[in-house]
Amino acid sequence: MVDLPSPADRPDEPRVGTDEWVASHGERTARRTGVTGFIARVWDRLPPFGRLAVFVVPTAFLPFLMSEENLTRYALYTLFYALMGLGLNVVVGYAGLLDLGYIAFVGFGAYGYGILASPQFGNHFQAELAIPAVAIATAVLGLLVGLPSRRLVGDYLAIVTLFFGQAFVVFVNNANRIDFPHFGHVDLTGGANGLSDIYPPNFFGYEINSTRRYFYFVLAAFALVLTALYFANESRTGRAWRALREDPLAAETMTVPVNRLKLLAFAFGAGLAGFTGAIYGSFQTGAFPGDYDVGLLITIYAVVILGGTGSLAGVALGAIIINCAPELLRSEHNASLLFYGVILLTILGKVRPWRVLGVFLGGLVAFGFAVHAIADAAWPRLTAAHAHSTGFLKGPIEDWVLLPRHPVKIADYGYVILIAAILLVTRLDGWRRLVALVPTVYLGAFVWENLLITQTAGATRLILLGALLVALMNARPQGLLGTARVEIV
Amino acid sequence: MKKVFLALLAAVLAFAAAGTGGASTQSPKAAGSALITCGKTRTIGLLAPITGPAASIGGLQVKWVDFYVSRYNRTHKTKFAVVKEDTQLGGPNGNAEALKGAQALKGNGKVLGVVGPAGSNEVKGTTSTLKGGGLGFISGSATNTTLTTDGTRTGYFFRTVPPDAQQSKSVSRFIVNNLKFKRVYIIDDQEAYSTGLSDEVEAQLKAAGVTTTRDGVSQQQSDFSALIAKIPRDTQLVYIPWQLAPKAQAFGQQMRQAGKSSIRLMGSDGLFAPEFESLSGVYASFFPVQPTDGTIKAYSQAHGGDTDFFGAPSYVAAQVIGGAIDRACKDGKATRAEVRKQIAKTNIKKTLLGLPVRFTKGGDIRGGVFGIYQSKNGKFARIA
Amino acid sequence: MNWSLFFDLTVSGLTLGSLYALIALGYSMVYGILKLLNFAHGDVYMIGAFIGWFALHGLGGPISPDVGAWIVTVLMFLAAMVGCGVLGVVIERFAYRPLRNAPRIAPLISALGVSFFLQNSALLLFGAAFRDYDSFDLIGSRTRHVGQVYYATPQILTVCGAIALMVVLTLIVARTTVGKAMRATSFDREAAAMMGIDVDRVISVTFFLGSALAGAAGVMFGLVFGQIYHYMGFIAGLKGFTAAVIGGIGSIPGAMLGGLVVGLLESYATGYLPQGSTFQNLYVFAVLIAVILVRPSGLLGRAAIQKV
Repeated sequence: MVDLPSPADRPDEPRVGTDEWVASHGERTARRTGVTGFIARVWDRLPPFGRLAVFVVPTAFLPFLMSEENLTRYALYTLFYALMGLGLNVVVGYAGLLDLGYIAFVGFGAYGYGILASPQFGNHFQAELAIPAVAIATAVLGLLVGLPSRRLVGDYLAIVTLFFGQAFVVFVNNANRIDFPHFGHVDLTGGANGLSDIYPPNFFGYEINSTRRYFYFVLAAFALVLTALYFANESRTGRAWRALREDPLAAETMTVPVNRLKLLAFAFGAGLAGFTGAIYGSFQTGAFPGDYDVGLLITIYAVVILGGTGSLAGVALGAIIINCAPELLRSEHNASLLFYGVILLTILGKVRPWRVLGVFLGGLVAFGFAVHAIADAAWPRLTAAHAHSTGFLKGPIEDWVLLPRHPVKIADYGYVILIAAILLVTRLDGWRRLVALVPTVYLGAFVWENLLITQTAGATRLILLGALLVALMNARPQGLLGTARVEIV
Repeated sequence: MKKVFLALLAAVLAFAAAGTGGASTQSPKAAGSALITCGKTRTIGLLAPITGPAASIGGLQVKWVDFYVSRYNRTHKTKFAVVKEDTQLGGPNGNAEALKGAQALKGNGKVLGVVGPAGSNEVKGTTSTLKGGGLGFISGSATNTTLTTDGTRTGYFFRTVPPDAQQSKSVSRFIVNNLKFKRVYIIDDQEAYSTGLSDEVEAQLKAAGVTTTRDGVSQQQSDFSALIAKIPRDTQLVYIPWQLAPKAQAFGQQMRQAGKSSIRLMGSDGLFAPEFESLSGVYASFFPVQPTDGTIKAYSQAHGGDTDFFGAPSYVAAQVIGGAIDRACKDGKATRAEVRKQIAKTNIKKTLLGLPVRFTKGGDIRGGVFGIYQSKNGKFARIA
Repeated sequence: MNWSLFFDLTVSGLTLGSLYALIALGYSMVYGILKLLNFAHGDVYMIGAFIGWFALHGLGGPISPDVGAWIVTVLMFLAAMVGCGVLGVVIERFAYRPLRNAPRIAPLISALGVSFFLQNSALLLFGAAFRDYDSFDLIGSRTRHVGQVYYATPQILTVCGAIALMVVLTLIVARTTVGKAMRATSFDREAAAMMGIDVDRVISVTFFLGSALAGAAGVMFGLVFGQIYHYMGFIAGLKGFTAAVIGGIGSIPGAMLGGLVVGLLESYATGYLPQGSTFQNLYVFAVLIAVILVRPSGLLGRAAIQKV
């Protein structure tokens, strides 16, 4: 079925894939002007290893700029998510298979490594043996899981793999109570208590035992996998995978061995997952059943799709956003800066011409002071409390935003009204939107100061993450670095 | 325009990242021994499941810790501030969130000691981080026995709840000696806390000649009717050591619906909460708390009559850290190591748990005992 | 054969299955028209449960309602269904419509964003504590029985209510103009548009109906199981998705059948198999896989016609 053009969105542009679109491709490329256009053109011209260097070299300096804790929270977890995303990208992005059991392979890797190197069985294998062994075992497992799904198409593969994922979690959660045939009772996974105290990897006697070492180790692994995937993508197999994703039927007619390629992608992705899982498990110093459930799967899917399915750089960008955005919001002060910063930058970037921008900002400031002055005179209780924001924001905010003494109820209603107002604003255009935006922004600041900021450790950051995901997907449906594909089915 | 916007957004993210990057730059080795000027406001860290499926119990722990701090601040010249980090126990990313939260506390140069984390697996997962930061951490709900016996966190980890080993002994002794029941059905909720406790109780009951049947049900589930249908009518007691009291309440209500209200129901410390209490006749094991205790009364008053005890051990945990910080800060400066030492030396004669708090070497409360309670007219009363 | 156990399990399975069926319908209808897996559907269901709770307490609470208990119950359902219906339309308009021409997998992330947003907004506004419907006080808890079949009032209300809603839905789809337009759109969206069908409107109606059913399921959940909380949509969404796939995703009777099958399977697995409730999901999935191996397009699904 061919998708319909939706009239509401940019009626003047031809739809992706139509003849007009193809004809105007050159124009569009040339139209990329300004700073971003320049960057895009330079990026296009870079050789593949140059692109890798652009990412890896600055990243390699992070340990000297960040404290060890922030290195873990921002950089290391981003790399882990990106690594997991790369494996999923092979399955989903290259071969177009909806694999909902992917995280179980990561978990298998972590548990596998834990069994080979933790006090659970008293094993302590060298990492140069254990990690490849685990990766290969996971790839074989992927092959086995993939075999029966050969017959199944589309969304039914999804349910089989979802089953596999669930089965994995239930199994590791209860394996301590299972009596295996021949072996008798073996506590393979520690049950609900998981495997703890997994040893750090030890390569030929060199132990990865500090955050920095982990960071460089994972960064090296990331660069390695990225390089391997780049070559795989450019190879015969890679081209066949893409053909498979675009149109399996057409690919089959062109004598592409569809089933074998699907299996290969599935097993390859699983192997990568096992590899990542082994490192991830050792870094977390433990493997617990709840760690490898649907939740992490959703996170990794978000990484891949947000970045742009099939794009390697997209996976990295997706991982940065998905991991760093909620981490940044952990502290009240950061969250406030980020909140007001994003609003201000959006206004600065979107409102044109400059004259209108000036009037708008002036109007916004005046509106706030007017409301504050009126409230102060009429109901002083509405301005009695102190601002949560600290630093240079505190003063202006206390003079500009209403801060009632008992904000709970008012702020709850304000929150609901705010959502309605934001949705409404997106439907208006021209000067109406600008006029409506003034009270909306003010209401946003009010709700932020009185409600959201008190919950930055909890609900707020996930609410903002959710809103960010919707907004980003709306802005770029094909993913941030994905290319708009021609969809003909 | 969209690209410009995205680029700007990326710039803001990068800017903020750089900002946090500069925030603290202590070297890892010095983390435990870095001198922190105490000043007027001292900072306690809190790791709790503020969002996610266990948010209801995390919310209680936050409430009780906040309550301690507000009470303290009202009566003292120096003040405490709490830095809260979310661990999303049982949530999307598993232990990773707890680990990131612990990293944030470790990196926050003001934090002197930590209350939490809530789950036993979270304790295991965050140990190396918190230990690396030289932080002492006191959990008000992690009861897995091995946490204090395997030696990996001695001197760093403490808890204000007695371990499973203690609780299971009190429970099985009560079932065998007081109730003299012979047929018991045990259902765990598939989480570490519950399976650990169930395993120990099951083993002890079996040793005493009680017939036990074991089953498990996911913490996420709300429908228990099929499970209840399966429980034989001649069962005398169903033991459900769960974490979420509202789920246990639903279980009890569905037992009633199925016409099996003659079978007794027993919970553990996780269920010592108003929701479970509302089911008449149920048993639960908990600390020998005194409902008449002034602190509990004050809490109840401040929270519109609520008496949820689940967070009470976290109150005591905050109290222990608060006291330790005060003692360490006598000279105006303190290190995390000093606070840790003071925690180990804690000696509070009377707490709202009904026990004096002194720690063993491993980090357990000395002589921690469990009382057995039964709900009569919607209020728990101690019967053993 | 222990008949009383069998009947107990059947009643429990039917109750649960009705809920799953109502949720699965929303998944299936949306999928049929948009080929979109609406992962925020479970959270719409959660919001429905909360709307029902607020309606109940707005009308005086379960112990001393302002009007008769049955009127309160009906009003709770109406409020939840209308509220969720509108919510569904709004979500479609702002989160999915702009993505209609995007790659099929893209709206998944938009849906995930909506899910995060709804779940944590509920946490922010309603708090983390569970809320109790106290349905015993409202519509009675007495267990009734016919022969050996025991049931409670909320259970019979759920099963009958679900059947009534499904009949109404079937009638709407089969008999009304909008229903005809829905069928046409799900068959071939482009051809339908060429025939002068307002596809946007049809999609909005589909979202309204699907979400209203989820809202009703939310209230039923509250009445039967008592406790509602912000995280309840997650697991329900997964189960509803499973039920929709097993019945044949895109097929309305399939979703109903799939829901009942999953509910009954869960119940029988729990009751009859060793450690049944621990391994319940595994047993259920094992049967589902068997079904899919025999009928890859689900119980009542049409095999997709490959057009070239």
